[in-house]
Amino acid sequence: MPTTVTVLVIGRLDVVWDAVFSATHSAELFDVMKSGFLKTGRMFRGCLVKTISFVGYTVQYGCIAHCAFEYIGEFVSCSGPSMEPTITNHDVVFSERVSRNLCRIQKGDIVIAKSPFDPKMNICKRVMGLEGDKVCTSGPSDIFKTHTYVPRGHVWLEGDNLRNSTDSRSYGPIPYALIRGRVCLKMWPPHSFGVLAESPNDGRIL
Amino acid sequence: MKTGRMFRGFFVKTISFVGYTVQYGCIAHCAFEYIGEFVSCSGPSMEPTITNHDVVFSERVSRHLCRIQKGDIVIAKSPFDPKMNICKRVIGLEGDKVCTSGPSDVFKTHTYVPRGHVWLEGDNLRNSTDSRSYGPVPYALIRGRVCLKVMRIQSHFLTYSLPQRPNHKHFEFELLPFYVVFINEFFFLKQAVQMILS
Repeated sequence: MPTTVTVLVIGRLDVVWDAVFSATHSAELFDVMKSGFLKTGRMFRGCLVKTISFVGYTVQYGCIAHCAFEYIGEFVSCSGPSMEPTITNHDVVFSERVSRNLCRIQKGDIVIAKSPFDPKMNICKRVMGLEGDKVCTSGPSDIFKTHTYVPRGHVWLEGDNLRNSTDSRSYGPIPYALIRGRVCLKMWPPHSFGVLAESPNDGRIL
Repeated sequence: MKTGRMFRGFFVKTISFVGYTVQYGCIAHCAFEYIGEFVSCSGPSMEPTITNHDVVFSERVSRHLCRIQKGDIVIAKSPFDPKMNICKRVIGLEGDKVCTSGPSDVFKTHTYVPRGHVWLEGDNLRNSTDSRSYGPVPYALIRGRVCLKVMRIQSHFLTYSLPQRPNHKHFEFELLPFYVVFINEFFFLKQAVQMILS
């Protein structure tokens, strides 16, 4: 007799469950607990979905911003005295990338390039000679003028402040591929906003 | 009225299509820029390591973290043509002493690699124009480090890892045969797509 009862009880556990719960008046408690668990699960899933979509949007807009800086232009803050009086210390300039990608850099342009001696640093100088040009390597005070030809695929850079500038006169011509962009506008300080001046050392452009 | 509505609908669709293309193009470009890219190599200068028409995968992470080491095969922009790429092995980093004379020369000459530069040589020494002719190359010209070569076995792809570090004993005293590969940046896309699709 007890085995039959056990079998019956196991077979109809749902009835027993309802009977026990209704007997102990904890049906509402069970419902509240069940809905509580579902709500937390839904909240957690919603939070996870929101986080993933936020990360996704950040990556998306980060990539678009990076491509804009890479192909259109970027703001650069310059430091150092080697381009005075054209660009002074702590000036902010806008350098555009279109000329560099289309290989339209010309003599007399001010360019931002990666430093050949430190891949993390950038230098800002004026292009004095393109490939094949003859450039003067001696100073203005030297008696004997020496010249050199710029090799293929290279450019000759010089700062406007010839006395206080380490440029191609010390480290030689740099490969064109190191150029990042052409400086076209000065943004800060506001009183000198606008297009940059021509080279004050015009005599050196041969 | 109906034509106007159709035209506006078409216009909106075109704008959204262009917007999506720009979005995914930018994401793909950033993936190639910061993770890695497939490159199709041409030329005999890196034989037998990399032969003509091989497709390799070059990763960008080492270059951005400045972790390029001696013995790595790198893809770099050519110092003589900003649109061309070259694929060579790094023989010396900044400050290293490298042998500039050939193996058949009687008098061995050496030079030191300047700061911020690397000395590149191809695996096929007899048929390679590299730092022995144009001098050390600035580190900033390096684009990526070649880590895998993609080989095709019938219809499946098999990845094969390149020998990264040849016998160190030979570095200081002998030059191992390295090869030069000239890679055309726009050519690789066509080749890689053709290979993957065929």
